[in-house]
Amino acid sequence: MDALADTVRKLSASSRRGYQNPYEAIEWPETLNREQWFTSPELISLYGTQWWDELSDAGRKLLSFWEAVNFYSLNIAGERFLMEGIAHRLYRPGWEDVAEYLHHFLDEENKHSVWFGTFCQRYAGKVYPDRKVAFPREFADGEEDFLFFAEVSVFEEIVDRYNVTMARDERLVSVARRINDNHHTEETRHLVFGRRIVAELWRQWVDRWPPEVVEGIRAHIAGFVTATWRDYYNPDAYRDAGLADPYAVARGAWDATAAHRDGVTRRALRPLVSAGVLP
Amino acid sequence: MTEAEAREALRAWIREHNPDVPAGEPADGTRLIERRYLTSLQVADLLLYIEELRQAPVDPTRLKPGVFASIDDIYGAFF
Repeated sequence: MDALADTVRKLSASSRRGYQNPYEAIEWPETLNREQWFTSPELISLYGTQWWDELSDAGRKLLSFWEAVNFYSLNIAGERFLMEGIAHRLYRPGWEDVAEYLHHFLDEENKHSVWFGTFCQRYAGKVYPDRKVAFPREFADGEEDFLFFAEVSVFEEIVDRYNVTMARDERLVSVARRINDNHHTEETRHLVFGRRIVAELWRQWVDRWPPEVVEGIRAHIAGFVTATWRDYYNPDAYRDAGLADPYAVARGAWDATAAHRDGVTRRALRPLVSAGVLP
Repeated sequence: MTEAEAREALRAWIREHNPDVPAGEPADGTRLIERRYLTSLQVADLLLYIEELRQAPVDPTRLKPGVFASIDDIYGAFF
């Protein structure tokens, strides 16, 4: 953990300088006209598919609203997992050097969930439920911590690509741009921390793990990438946008948009490749 | 969809995601999680498949590890 100490100090100082009151950072209109863009069209899960082609302009904008609700909902689920994991590791023996930053991490993730949850509840009246279930399993020494931070890193790297694009997209309604922009600003620090801690934990443990554990970790990360992307193709959102047979749409869109996922995934996995975790 | 069709569809899904499953597996009582035929990372995918078979969303409050222990448990919980 010594190698992380300097990074942790700098990130903590940056978090303190950029501290935001989550209840003042974003102005929330009383109501929102859904005939506007809430998600960049090119990032909508049906973009480029037959279902996209069949939608009217109003239908595409309505879908962009429900895709935003889905994006924010999957972020709430991801941040809940993250906050549980961070809280579990606060001041655990051996982790004292990073505790200062874990407090900021928790604080900032909680704020993000306030923004995402406020949008979903205020304008959609709901947060889409998370379909993930964790089964208990055995881990080698160090494996659970490593997988936790590797999953967090992959999840946040993918989300950040969407945040960066939508924060700059002037077609989007202001509140959607602000949410994405604020999230990206704070996630930038989390990404740095995630990359550093994943590399550090890998360096500490990889030579102590037998080959089957290393192989299992790589397979788990591949499975996590697939599971993460599945959440972006939510039949609930398609149903709310008025599409018929939303499950068939989800399956068809998944098959039709592999190239988009591959491009984002390649970039999101670069830190794990650089650290030697993935070949 | 009949009960037999739903159970066969669930078995087919498990086989498709586990090409090395021995012939005749999984049986209705096979312990899917212990045998690693079903992992946490696959559950969301399986749930979407179950919802498509049922043509109705699953109540998220029912999502506990025990309901995925076997084909019998999955059928009992969701169909």
